[in-house]
Order: sequence, then structure tokens, then C-alpha cells
Amino acid sequence: MVCIRRATVDDLLAMQACNLMCLPENYQMKYYLYHILSWPQLLYVAEDYNGRIVGYVLAKMEEESNECHGHITSLAVLRTHRKLGLATKLMTAAQAAMEQVYEAEYVSLHVRRSNRAAFNLYTETLGYKINDVEAKYYADGEDAYDMRKHLKGKQNHHHGHSHHHHGGGCCSGDAKPVEIAQAADAKAVSK
Amino acid sequence: MKMYKLAGEERFLLWAVCSIQLQVLCDKSGEKLLLLAEGLLKKHIASHSMHEPEALMVYISLLEQQSKYNDGLEVLSGDLGSLLMIEVDKLRIQGRLLARANDYSAAVDVYKKILELSPDDWECFLHYLGCLLEDDSIWKYFDNIDQIHPTKHIECKFSHLTEEMFDSRISSASDLVLKLQIDTENSNLRGPYLAGLEIEKRKFLFGKKNENKLLESLLQYFHKFGHLACYASDVEAYLHVLSPDKKTEFVGMLVKNSDSFSESATKVLGQTTTILKVQELTGNIFELPIDEIEASAVKLAKLYCQNLALSKDLDPQESMFGEELLSLISNMLVQLYWRTRNFGYLAEAIMVLELGLTIRGHVWQYKILLLHIYSYVGALPLAFERYKALDVKNILTETVSHHILRQMLESPMWVDLSNLLKDYLKFMDDHLRESADLTFLAYRHRNYSKVIEFVLFKQRLQHSNQYLATRVEASVLQLKQNADSIEEEERVLENLKSGFQLVELSDEIGSRTLRFNEDMETRPWWTPCPEKNYLLGPFEEISYCPKENEKKDREENMKLAIQRKSLLPRMIYLSIQCTSTALKESVETNGSKGDTKISGELECLLEEYTKMLGCSLSDAVEMITEISKGARTSESLGSNLVEWLNFAVFWNGWSLSSHEHWHVLNSLFERLILDRIRSMGSSDMSSCYSDVQVLVQIITEPLAWHSLIIQACTRSSLPSGKKKKKNHQQHSDQLSSSPMSQTIKDSIQSLCSTIQEVSNWIQNQLDNPEDDQVERFLSTLKRAEDATGGPGQILGVLENVIASSEEAEVGNRIFDALKSWNTADSARKTVMAQQRVFREFLQICESKRKQLETVKQQMSHV
Repeated sequence: MVCIRRATVDDLLAMQACNLMCLPENYQMKYYLYHILSWPQLLYVAEDYNGRIVGYVLAKMEEESNECHGHITSLAVLRTHRKLGLATKLMTAAQAAMEQVYEAEYVSLHVRRSNRAAFNLYTETLGYKINDVEAKYYADGEDAYDMRKHLKGKQNHHHGHSHHHHGGGCCSGDAKPVEIAQAADAKAVSK
Repeated sequence: MKMYKLAGEERFLLWAVCSIQLQVLCDKSGEKLLLLAEGLLKKHIASHSMHEPEALMVYISLLEQQSKYNDGLEVLSGDLGSLLMIEVDKLRIQGRLLARANDYSAAVDVYKKILELSPDDWECFLHYLGCLLEDDSIWKYFDNIDQIHPTKHIECKFSHLTEEMFDSRISSASDLVLKLQIDTENSNLRGPYLAGLEIEKRKFLFGKKNENKLLESLLQYFHKFGHLACYASDVEAYLHVLSPDKKTEFVGMLVKNSDSFSESATKVLGQTTTILKVQELTGNIFELPIDEIEASAVKLAKLYCQNLALSKDLDPQESMFGEELLSLISNMLVQLYWRTRNFGYLAEAIMVLELGLTIRGHVWQYKILLLHIYSYVGALPLAFERYKALDVKNILTETVSHHILRQMLESPMWVDLSNLLKDYLKFMDDHLRESADLTFLAYRHRNYSKVIEFVLFKQRLQHSNQYLATRVEASVLQLKQNADSIEEEERVLENLKSGFQLVELSDEIGSRTLRFNEDMETRPWWTPCPEKNYLLGPFEEISYCPKENEKKDREENMKLAIQRKSLLPRMIYLSIQCTSTALKESVETNGSKGDTKISGELECLLEEYTKMLGCSLSDAVEMITEISKGARTSESLGSNLVEWLNFAVFWNGWSLSSHEHWHVLNSLFERLILDRIRSMGSSDMSSCYSDVQVLVQIITEPLAWHSLIIQACTRSSLPSGKKKKKNHQQHSDQLSSSPMSQTIKDSIQSLCSTIQEVSNWIQNQLDNPEDDQVERFLSTLKRAEDATGGPGQILGVLENVIASSEEAEVGNRIFDALKSWNTADSARKTVMAQQRVFREFLQICESKRKQLETVKQQMSHV
């Protein structure tokens, strides 16, 4: 792994390159920016020893429901750097941030039904459970598992969070910006 | 600020503070404003305290920006520090502030703490080591943000340390690393072991004679992680400090040691791949004799085939076992081609990669390697197809399109090129337009530090060399596409504000720092950047060198190239304007120089242009004159040949009344074009595409501009409804019989026959029946029964497997792919792609020639 560190905006260049090399799907850059500018605490990159970005996790807080929960949008690890436990570390970092920074109660994600490697990672290593099956979730018609994992949520063990409000927590009461609507559409297409 | 005063909300204040920070960061001035911002924040904290972790980050970065590291530390350790919820994040900031305040021993303790919490944090280890050795060079390394991938070479300073100090500190680092290794023994982390290597490297750089120890550590690392795909890139930085002898010795050690491992097929496969990659990295492979490289490639091909079955049950998206072997084989084959100039090796490289792609359709390395080989052999439409298969979109257009852009710019494939340029510009322009909304999004989420990052990121894209170059090229392409009709061209020029905007851009670029966002690491070894292609030179000429040395030159050259190109539209415009004056002069010999302003501006631009070619206007004139007379060879123009010709065209446009200048230009075109045709001789596209590229550029740029000037001259002398000059008929009469008219006719004649030569050459190539060419292509791969070396061996190995593989063994997906493979099809596609380039080029040549013929006829009708 190496350094699992928080992503910066500049990392987007290398993260996109990582996307070219390991995911057949490409996201709109706007979608990345929407994530990093909204929930910068939830984006992590795995930086290799010589400074290359070799993996990343892209996550967000779900703002539309009442329950405060996080969602993993995208997880990628370079083919050359598989089987090193990077994905687990990236996921753990993002989940911890959801819990500590936003007091998320659970975290959700979608995974292709055929993607056994990822499915095993989520269920066996990370403790996710199938919540639902979404038929034809992906652009090519494949089904997705809707998976969830419970977090400790509000029993936040960190002291000093009395100062800590994010304009009403994660599920901010601000009017929904235009970009969010676009991003939500993009999800079904690109995820 | 007004909003803050009205509402008293923290976010409005931070908005103002961020704006100040950005102003200082971008203009590198107004530092006093930072003090003001600090004062505002202090006052706010005193009255309202602070509530957002992001606000705290802004406060600390503001202090850092003013080098007030100790103040930052004080804030961090105070009440506000508890705003940061994640312990390691806080420690990292603390460590950085301590290090920058030169409080090294305290920083070492902090970094140690982080390492105990996360032993695989490499950046933290480097900081730890830097602080331990009181070396601040690492901060320069992390400040170097201009590359996507930071430089692998970190400078180290030791001069301030005595040997004794060095020894004691390095030994405490060794203790820590040993402890980390023991603590993490079961988790298979690479970090602590790599840290051991780093320590050996520092010792070596300090002057300890521990080369053998370093080799031993590298070998140990190989035993532990050599089967992983990341081994080679992990150790790259350590290999580079070794002497060439030691590098070779190390490769030998790896080969010897790998044989003793055979626990599992995947491990053997991984290790073998690693050794090859290390050979590539160290340049060792360039020193091997040809037959050894061939033997090694054959071995790899066999290994690939043997392991196909391992990938039987993999998901189509997963990478295959041994996938990299085919890339390595193709790299070897390209080298063999470079050394022997036997085209068969290159043909074989194409086949190996295409077969690989048939088996596994998504492997981007294969696509990129193919793209470059196809470009080299002139099968550009196929190269473009492979590029499109990479699915380059969004920001990738900025980081990845360098693979194809230059070849397309120098090609006759204008429709595809135009789409490529349009897509890229659309992405960049859209992003720049939307960035205000995105900035606001970050503000709304109170992510102030991201606002600053984002604005700097936007600037990085705005100043991208590729973005600027593409803006200019898109305009030039329009001019090229419309150059056959002066009326169309004038419309294009009008839209370009008579070329004035681009001249302004050129001035701007002069004082700007260009940014380079391209990801060059994905390029093949033989063309490390778009301007370089080792295959065009002899094998002996280049020795292996790390890519990074070239960066500085590249920036300067790119800047000049963009600047020169952005002067073109204006020079075209001015030259067209000059024609009416020149003709008047030639008729009314007493010459009222009506438009000295135009000619003066053109002269200035010519001076600027030659300056950017590296000489004065008069030297440049001398240069082209001598070349046109044959007193110098065209080689003296170097790689800027097309630009020199552009200069010659506009220089003639500026001094149209001089018959001698026309003559110089004519023979210059003739000489340079015929030179190329001669050097290509009867060889086919595959070996001479770089000459074709130059011809395409000459015909579509300088020659096109010159033919425009001729059209403009003729137009000013023709009777037409548009012309309202009273004495027009008289002018024309005089012109048709004037020496000027004769000069123009001569020039047309000369250009036409030169173009005809080009057309003839192309036609010759097209006249070869396609089947014959396919046959010739395939024959380079055929081997005699008793041959010991030469191309075709690897393809032979692979084809054997295709013939003998069984579905049960390799799985139906791979089996079907193997059965669908057809070598002849692949050869045919290449040949067809080459022919398409020729056809497009021929079309351009023909339309230029016809256009000139029409002008000639018009003149004789006057």
C-alpha cells in the first residue's frame, strides 16, 4: 500500500489515469470534483512508494434520506497492485472518516453480481451484507447487489466533537445543488 | 467581507481569507494581505472561537504561508486542535510544522509515532528520515507539483553531518525499521522492508562503500516480493544509484536466484516477469547480443502460452496471468528492429500485441504500444482506432491524448484530427466555464482548503501547454482545410480576428509558466515524449538515460513552438494584404507606399519568428538563400524544416516585388521536397513514414500559404465585380505583360511540377496491389526451415498454441478468442490503413495542383 492518504484536487489527474488502467468505466470529471469538493474527508488515495497513485476510494454522504449514511461510489486499485490489501485499507479509511467526521450510521455500496472478487472482499473481509438486489442497475443490463455495513454511528468515541457541526451534520439542510442531481443520474450510467 | 460584517458568519470571513490566500499564491505578491487575513481570523476566534475543522486548516495554512510555523504549532496544540477528529491527520500536520520550523528532534518523535500507528506510511518514513538527518530537501520534492507522478529521484544533503553523527542517526533509523519489520511480520507489508533499502541507499550516497549490502537487500526484497507486479517500480530508485557494472551483476543475481523458486506457477511467472522488467529498467537489455534477446523473447512467449490455463476462470475484467509478458516481448522486438532494421521484428511485434488484444480486449498497454508502432509504420488510421479503444474522455484528454495528438497534427487525416481537437477543447472550455460553480460548491460545504486547491488546479489546466498548443492548432487546421479558396480563407481569418488574438496569445505565453499535465510514463521506451523517437536514429546514438533530464528543454521548446505557430494566422493575413500594395508598386514604379504599416508589421513578425528559430532576420534570409542555391544542405535546418519554409513564404510575401525572392522560394520548395522523395526512393511506407509526415506538413502548410499569396496576387490583377478600382483594367493589362506576372506564372509552374512529383510517388505506392503488399508484409515473418534466428520465431510459438489448445484446458472464452485469430487479417488491416493515409494525402496534393492550374489559366486569360 504504502501511504493511504487523503486525496487532493491535483490527485484527480493521476486518479483518472488509474481509472483508465483498471476500470472499464469512466466517470465524468465533474463527478469526481463534486465528491472531493463536497466531502473531501471521504476520498482516499493509495500512493505507492515512488509517488504514484495506485488506488483510490471515492465516497459520499447520502443527503437525500433522513438516515445519515455514507455511500462508496468507486473503489479502484491498479492491476499491478492487486492482492496487497490496498482495497481493504482504502475502504477502512473511508468508513472510519464517515463514522468519525459525519457520524454515519451505515455505509452502502453497489457491486456487480458477476464481480466475485469484489463481492468476496465486501462480505468476507469488510463485513458487508446484501440488503437488496437492484435489477439492471448497470448500463450493460447487469444486476447489482445493494450492500450495507453498519457503523457505530452516533456513539462517537471521540471527545471534543461538541464544536463539530457541519451545517447540521452530514445531511446538510442546504438546498440541493444542481450538481447533485446530475451526479445522481450519472451514478446509474457510470457506476 | 461585507457579508461577514452583515451576518457575522464564519463562512463569509473564511471566504474572504481564502480569496486573499489565492491572490497571494497566484500573483506571488501582496504578502502584507496575509497579515491582514491573519488579524481578521484572530479577532474572529477571540470573539466567536472557531467551529469548523476546515476553518482551522485554513488558519494553519495561512500561518504556514507566512512561515509562522511555531504559531501554527501553538494553534494546533491548543483548544482548536481538537477540531481535527482523526489523530494521524493531526500528527502529520504537527510533524510538518515542526520540520519546517527546523525543530527536527521533535519532528522525529512525531513521525515515529505515526509510523508506529501506520507502519506502511511511506511518505511519513521519508519525512522521518529527512528530519533525522536534518535534511529539508524532501520538502522541495513534495512542492514539485508539476508532474502527475512526482519525480522518483529525491536529493539528499549530508554535508552538514559528521560521519559520527550520520552513523548514530542512521543506526537509530535501522533500529526503528527492524522493529517495524518484526511488528508487521505477518501482514506482508512492503513498507518496512523498502525502508531498509532506503537506509542502505542513504548510506551509499553518504559515501559508505556498501554497494554489495545494497544488492543483498535488493535481493532479499526480491525473495519476499519479487513475484509481485510492483517489484520493479518499487526498486527503480535504488537501481538508479548503482553503477552500470553493479546493475548487470544484480540482474545476474536475480536470474540465479529465481531458478531455485518453483513453489507455484504464478510465483514463477511473477518472478520471471519481474526480472525482465528489471532488465529493461537498468538498460541491461540493450547490451545483450541479439540472439540472446531473441532466445529470451521466445522463452517468454512459451511461458505466456503455458500459463494461459491459469486464467481460465477469471472474470473478463480481471487481468490475466502473464499479461505483461506480451508487452515485454513487444518491447524486445522493437529493440531488435531498431538494431537490425529488419522490418519483420516490427511486424512480429504488431502480431504479438494484436493477438494479445484478441485474447484480452481491455489491456491498455497493448493498445498504447500498438498505437505507437502503427504510427511509426504509417498505419495511422489503425493507430487512431487503437487510441479510440482506450476510451479517452474527460480529464484523460489532457493526460493521455499526447499519445496520438502529434501524429494526427502531422497527418492528412483532417476529419479525425478536427474531432480530436474539438473534443479536447470542449472538455477544457466546459471545465473552465463550470469551475465557478464548483468553487461555490466547495464553499457551500465549508471545504475552504479545497477551494484553494481547486482554484490552483483550474489554473494548472488553464496554463497547460497542450491546451494552449491545441487552441492554436485548431485555428491553423481551419486555415489548412480552407487554403484552396482565398475567399473561404478570408472568412476563417475574419473569425480569427485577422490572426490578432493569437499574436496576443503568443506574447502572453512568453511570460507564462507552462504546465505539463501529460502522463508520459505510459509511453513506450522508444518514444519517451512526443518529440522524440529513438527509432528514427541509429541504435548506437542513444545510451539509456532516465527520462527526467529532458523536462527542462522540453518546456522551453514547447513554448517557442506554440509561439511560432500562433504567429502564422496573422502572417497569412498580412501577406494577403501586402499583395495589393506590391502589385501597385510593380505597376506604378514611382511607388506610393500606401500600406507601409502592414508591411512594417509583417517585418516585425518575421523578426520575431526568426528570433524564435534562433537567429536574426538577415541570418535567416542568408540561410534559406544558401539552401535554395545548394550551398548548404537541408540538414542545416534541423527538425524545424517546416517552420523555416513558413518563414521563407512570408518573407517572400513581405517582399513580393523582388523576383529573386520568388526564385529562392521556388527552388527551396523544389529542393526540400525532392530531397525527401529521393531519400524515400522506392521503399514502402513502413520504413519512410517520417518523410511522408514532413511532406504532408510542407504541402499543407508553407506550400498552401504560398499558393494563397499567389491567389491573392492574381485576384488583385483580375477584373472582377468586387473590384471597384477605376484603373483596374489598365492594371491588369500592364500586369499580364509585366515581369511580375511572369514571375508568378513561373512560380505556379514550379510548384505544380513539384507537387506532381509527390503525387507520382504516392500513386506509385498505391499502384501496388493490396494483396501483394499483404504478401510482402507476411513474408517478413516467414522463416526458413533451418533458420536459427530472425523474426517469426515468437509468432511461431504463439501460433502453435493456437493450433493445439483445447477448450477444456484454457476455458471457452480464451479458446474462442484463439480460434478467431488470423495473422493475414491483421497484416491486411495494417496495409489498408497505410493506403488510406496515402489516398488522403494524394487527394490534398491533387486539389492543390488543380487549384494552381486554375489560377494559371485565369492569368493567361487576362
